[in-house]
Amino acid sequence: MTLIIRSESPTPARSTVWLEGRLDAATFGSFDEALRDVTPMVDNGGTLIVDLSALDYISSAGLRSLAQLRKQMHDRDGRTLLLNPQPQVKKVFDIVKAVPVAEVFASVAELDQYLDHMQRQITG
Amino acid sequence: MQLRIPNRLEDVFLALERAEGALDRPDVDSACRADVRLVLEELLVNTVRHGYPDGRPGNIEIHLEVTTDVVRLELRDDALPFDPLDQDPPELTGDIARRDIGGLGLHLARNIASDIHYARDAHGNRVVILFDPSAEPTP
Repeated sequence: MTLIIRSESPTPARSTVWLEGRLDAATFGSFDEALRDVTPMVDNGGTLIVDLSALDYISSAGLRSLAQLRKQMHDRDGRTLLLNPQPQVKKVFDIVKAVPVAEVFASVAELDQYLDHMQRQITG
Repeated sequence: MQLRIPNRLEDVFLALERAEGALDRPDVDSACRADVRLVLEELLVNTVRHGYPDGRPGNIEIHLEVTTDVVRLELRDDALPFDPLDQDPPELTGDIARRDIGGLGLHLARNIASDIHYARDAHGNRVVILFDPSAEPTP
Protein backbone atom coordinates (compact mmCIF):
# COMPACT_ATOMS: atom_id res chain seq x y z
CA MET A 1 0.00 0.00 0.00
CA THR A 2 1.26 3.46 -0.83
CA LEU A 3 -0.73 6.68 -0.55
CA ILE A 4 -4.34 7.47 -1.49
CA ILE A 5 -5.45 11.11 -1.51
CA ARG A 6 -9.06 12.29 -1.65
CA SER A 7 -10.27 15.84 -1.30
CA GLU A 8 -13.53 17.75 -1.07
CA SER A 9 -14.19 21.48 -1.12
CA PRO A 10 -17.83 22.00 -0.07
CA THR A 11 -17.35 25.74 0.47
CA PRO A 12 -14.63 28.11 -0.70
CA ALA A 13 -13.66 28.69 2.90
CA ARG A 14 -13.14 25.06 3.83
CA SER A 15 -11.58 22.03 2.18
CA THR A 16 -10.83 18.58 3.52
CA VAL A 17 -8.11 16.23 2.36
CA TRP A 18 -8.13 12.57 3.41
CA LEU A 19 -4.88 10.65 3.42
CA GLU A 20 -4.69 6.88 3.45
CA GLY A 21 -1.55 4.74 3.59
CA ARG A 22 1.97 6.11 3.88
CA LEU A 23 3.33 9.61 3.47
CA ASP A 24 7.05 9.02 2.96
CA ALA A 25 10.02 9.58 0.64
CA ALA A 26 8.27 7.45 -2.02
CA THR A 27 4.87 9.21 -1.94
CA PHE A 28 5.42 12.83 -0.88
CA GLY A 29 5.69 13.93 -4.54
CA SER A 30 2.14 12.81 -5.34
CA PHE A 31 0.92 14.46 -2.14
CA ASP A 32 2.57 17.78 -3.08
CA GLU A 33 1.09 17.54 -6.57
CA ALA A 34 -2.44 16.76 -5.35
CA LEU A 35 -2.33 19.62 -2.86
CA ARG A 36 -1.31 22.09 -5.55
CA ASP A 37 -4.85 21.66 -6.90
CA VAL A 38 -6.54 21.90 -3.50
CA THR A 39 -4.92 24.89 -1.82
CA PRO A 40 -6.14 27.40 -4.47
CA MET A 41 -9.72 26.20 -3.75
CA VAL A 42 -9.42 27.53 -0.24
CA ASP A 43 -10.10 31.25 -0.17
CA ASN A 44 -7.60 33.51 1.49
CA GLY A 45 -8.19 33.09 5.19
CA GLY A 46 -9.86 29.70 4.71
CA THR A 47 -9.33 26.41 6.48
CA LEU A 48 -7.75 23.25 5.13
CA ILE A 49 -8.46 20.12 7.15
CA VAL A 50 -6.11 17.19 6.68
CA ASP A 51 -7.84 14.05 7.93
CA LEU A 52 -5.16 11.60 9.11
CA SER A 53 -7.51 8.86 10.38
CA ALA A 54 -6.34 6.39 7.73
CA LEU A 55 -2.73 7.51 7.45
CA ASP A 56 -0.69 4.62 8.88
CA TYR A 57 2.78 6.03 8.57
CA ILE A 58 4.75 9.23 8.11
CA SER A 59 8.50 9.84 7.79
CA SER A 60 10.59 13.02 7.68
CA ALA A 61 9.84 13.40 3.95
CA GLY A 62 6.12 13.48 4.76
CA LEU A 63 6.66 15.94 7.60
CA ARG A 64 8.47 18.23 5.19
CA SER A 65 5.48 18.16 2.83
CA LEU A 66 3.01 18.87 5.63
CA ALA A 67 5.22 21.75 6.79
CA GLN A 68 5.30 23.23 3.29
CA LEU A 69 1.54 22.88 3.04
CA ARG A 70 1.05 24.71 6.34
CA LYS A 71 3.38 27.44 5.14
CA GLN A 72 1.47 27.84 1.85
CA MET A 73 -1.81 28.13 3.76
CA HIS A 74 -0.24 30.48 6.25
CA ASP A 75 0.98 32.71 3.42
CA ARG A 76 -2.68 32.99 2.27
CA ASP A 77 -3.71 33.81 5.85
CA GLY A 78 -5.30 30.39 6.01
CA ARG A 79 -5.08 27.57 8.50
CA THR A 80 -4.20 23.93 8.28
CA LEU A 81 -5.80 21.70 10.88
CA LEU A 82 -4.81 18.08 11.35
CA LEU A 83 -7.44 15.56 12.33
CA ASN A 84 -7.10 12.29 14.21
CA PRO A 85 -3.44 11.24 13.78
CA GLN A 86 -2.87 7.51 14.39
CA PRO A 87 -0.22 6.14 16.80
CA GLN A 88 2.83 6.14 14.50
CA VAL A 89 2.00 9.58 13.08
CA LYS A 90 1.30 10.99 16.53
CA LYS A 91 4.59 9.59 17.82
CA VAL A 92 6.53 11.25 14.99
CA PHE A 93 4.73 14.58 15.56
CA ASP A 94 5.60 14.34 19.25
CA ILE A 95 9.30 13.63 18.66
CA VAL A 96 9.91 16.48 16.26
CA LYS A 97 7.32 18.79 17.86
CA ALA A 98 6.30 19.37 14.25
CA VAL A 99 2.86 20.77 14.78
CA PRO A 100 1.47 23.19 17.33
CA VAL A 101 -0.77 21.10 19.60
CA ALA A 102 -3.62 23.58 19.08
CA GLU A 103 -3.82 22.55 15.42
CA VAL A 104 -4.26 18.82 15.98
CA PHE A 105 -7.70 17.43 16.79
CA ALA A 106 -8.58 13.96 17.98
CA SER A 107 -12.06 13.83 16.46
CA VAL A 108 -14.43 15.53 14.01
CA ALA A 109 -16.59 16.66 16.96
CA GLU A 110 -13.63 18.37 18.59
CA LEU A 111 -12.69 20.02 15.31
CA ASP A 112 -16.27 21.23 14.63
CA GLN A 113 -16.44 22.67 18.12
CA TYR A 114 -13.22 24.60 17.49
CA LEU A 115 -14.39 25.88 14.09
CA ASP A 116 -17.78 26.93 15.56
CA HIS A 117 -15.94 28.77 18.28
CA MET A 118 -13.72 30.55 15.72
CA GLN A 119 -16.80 31.40 13.64
CA ARG A 120 -18.55 32.90 16.66
CA GLN A 121 -15.46 34.96 17.42
CA ILE A 122 -15.53 36.36 13.88
CA THR A 123 -19.28 37.02 13.67
CA GLY A 124 -20.00 37.69 17.34
CA MET B 1 16.66 -11.39 6.59
CA GLN B 2 19.77 -10.51 4.61
CA LEU B 3 19.72 -8.25 1.59
CA ARG B 4 22.16 -6.43 -0.60
CA ILE B 5 20.77 -3.55 -2.63
CA PRO B 6 22.20 -0.99 -5.07
CA ASN B 7 22.21 2.65 -3.92
CA ARG B 8 18.92 3.58 -5.60
CA LEU B 9 15.75 4.93 -4.01
CA GLU B 10 13.45 2.35 -5.62
CA ASP B 11 15.58 -0.45 -4.15
CA VAL B 12 15.41 1.21 -0.73
CA PHE B 13 11.62 0.93 -0.82
CA LEU B 14 11.75 -2.70 -1.97
CA ALA B 15 14.03 -3.36 1.03
CA LEU B 16 11.52 -1.64 3.36
CA GLU B 17 8.77 -3.98 2.12
CA ARG B 18 11.00 -7.01 2.66
CA ALA B 19 11.90 -5.87 6.18
CA GLU B 20 8.28 -5.28 7.05
CA GLY B 21 7.46 -8.77 5.81
CA ALA B 22 10.20 -10.29 7.95
CA LEU B 23 8.79 -8.52 11.02
CA ASP B 24 5.23 -9.67 10.39
CA ARG B 25 5.16 -12.21 13.23
CA PRO B 26 3.20 -12.46 16.47
CA ASP B 27 6.13 -11.67 18.80
CA VAL B 28 6.87 -8.35 17.10
CA ASP B 29 4.49 -5.54 18.03
CA SER B 30 3.09 -3.42 15.19
CA ALA B 31 4.63 -0.29 16.76
CA CYS B 32 8.08 -1.91 16.58
CA ARG B 33 7.46 -2.84 12.96
CA ALA B 34 6.68 0.80 12.16
CA ASP B 35 9.74 1.97 14.14
CA VAL B 36 12.07 -0.31 12.16
CA ARG B 37 10.54 0.86 8.90
CA LEU B 38 11.01 4.51 9.86
CA VAL B 39 14.64 4.14 10.97
CA LEU B 40 15.43 2.09 7.86
CA GLU B 41 13.78 4.66 5.59
CA GLU B 42 15.54 7.62 7.20
CA LEU B 43 19.01 6.04 7.22
CA LEU B 44 18.85 4.39 3.78
CA VAL B 45 17.33 7.43 2.03
CA ASN B 46 20.02 9.56 3.64
CA THR B 47 22.78 7.20 2.46
CA VAL B 48 21.43 7.03 -1.10
CA ARG B 49 20.93 10.82 -1.34
CA HIS B 50 24.15 12.02 0.27
CA GLY B 51 26.54 9.08 0.48
CA TYR B 52 27.60 8.93 -3.16
CA PRO B 53 27.96 12.53 -4.36
CA ASP B 54 30.11 11.43 -7.31
CA GLY B 55 27.22 9.32 -8.64
CA ARG B 56 29.11 6.03 -8.53
CA PRO B 57 27.13 2.80 -8.05
CA GLY B 58 27.28 1.52 -4.50
CA ASN B 59 26.16 -1.38 -2.35
CA ILE B 60 24.13 -1.40 0.82
CA GLU B 61 23.75 -4.49 2.96
CA ILE B 62 20.83 -4.92 5.31
CA HIS B 63 20.79 -7.58 7.95
CA LEU B 64 17.71 -7.93 10.15
CA GLU B 65 17.60 -10.40 13.01
CA VAL B 66 14.61 -11.01 15.26
CA THR B 67 14.68 -12.74 18.62
CA THR B 68 12.09 -12.60 21.38
CA ASP B 69 14.06 -9.92 23.26
CA VAL B 70 15.45 -7.73 20.54
CA VAL B 71 15.22 -6.74 16.91
CA ARG B 72 18.71 -6.14 15.58
CA LEU B 73 19.26 -4.21 12.36
CA GLU B 74 22.69 -3.95 10.81
CA LEU B 75 23.44 -1.68 7.86
CA ARG B 76 26.70 -1.68 5.92
CA ASP B 77 27.52 0.51 2.96
CA ASP B 78 30.46 1.66 0.85
CA ALA B 79 29.39 5.32 0.88
CA LEU B 80 31.33 8.32 2.21
CA PRO B 81 32.12 8.06 5.93
CA PHE B 82 29.01 9.10 7.82
CA ASP B 83 28.25 8.72 11.51
CA PRO B 84 24.51 9.24 12.10
CA LEU B 85 25.23 9.84 15.80
CA ASP B 86 27.73 12.62 15.19
CA GLN B 87 25.24 15.16 13.80
CA ASP B 88 23.89 18.24 15.49
CA PRO B 89 20.26 17.89 16.52
CA PRO B 90 17.91 20.08 14.47
CA GLU B 91 16.37 23.22 15.91
CA LEU B 92 13.02 22.02 17.26
CA THR B 93 11.56 25.15 18.75
CA GLY B 94 8.80 27.03 17.00
CA ASP B 95 6.79 26.26 13.94
CA ILE B 96 8.22 23.69 11.55
CA ALA B 97 7.00 25.74 8.58
CA ARG B 98 9.20 28.64 9.63
CA ARG B 99 12.45 26.86 10.25
CA ASP B 100 15.04 24.86 8.42
CA ILE B 101 13.77 21.31 8.47
CA GLY B 102 16.97 19.49 7.56
CA GLY B 103 18.26 16.85 9.92
CA LEU B 104 14.77 15.79 10.96
CA GLY B 105 15.13 12.27 9.61
CA LEU B 106 18.26 11.48 11.62
CA HIS B 107 16.74 13.07 14.69
CA LEU B 108 13.72 10.78 14.31
CA ALA B 109 15.91 7.71 13.80
CA ARG B 110 18.01 8.46 16.89
CA ASN B 111 14.93 9.01 19.04
CA ILE B 112 13.05 5.93 17.92
CA ALA B 113 15.78 3.28 18.11
CA SER B 114 16.56 1.78 21.53
CA ASP B 115 20.25 1.88 20.72
CA ILE B 116 22.50 2.86 17.78
CA HIS B 117 26.19 2.05 17.27
CA TYR B 118 28.38 3.32 14.50
CA ALA B 119 31.74 2.05 13.28
CA ARG B 120 33.79 2.46 10.15
CA ASP B 121 36.16 -0.21 8.87
CA ALA B 122 37.94 -1.08 5.63
CA HIS B 123 34.61 -2.07 4.04
CA GLY B 124 32.84 1.18 4.84
CA ASN B 125 30.17 2.36 7.27
CA ARG B 126 28.55 -0.04 9.70
CA VAL B 127 25.53 0.93 11.80
CA VAL B 128 23.87 -1.43 14.29
CA ILE B 129 20.44 -0.45 15.59
CA LEU B 130 18.46 -2.23 18.32
CA PHE B 131 14.70 -2.17 18.89
CA ASP B 132 12.39 -3.53 21.53
CA PRO B 133 9.98 -5.96 19.82
CA SER B 134 7.38 -5.90 22.60
CA ALA B 135 4.48 -3.51 22.90
CA GLU B 136 5.51 -0.21 24.43
CA PRO B 137 4.12 0.56 27.86
CA THR B 138 1.39 3.16 27.60
CA PRO B 139 2.46 6.35 29.37
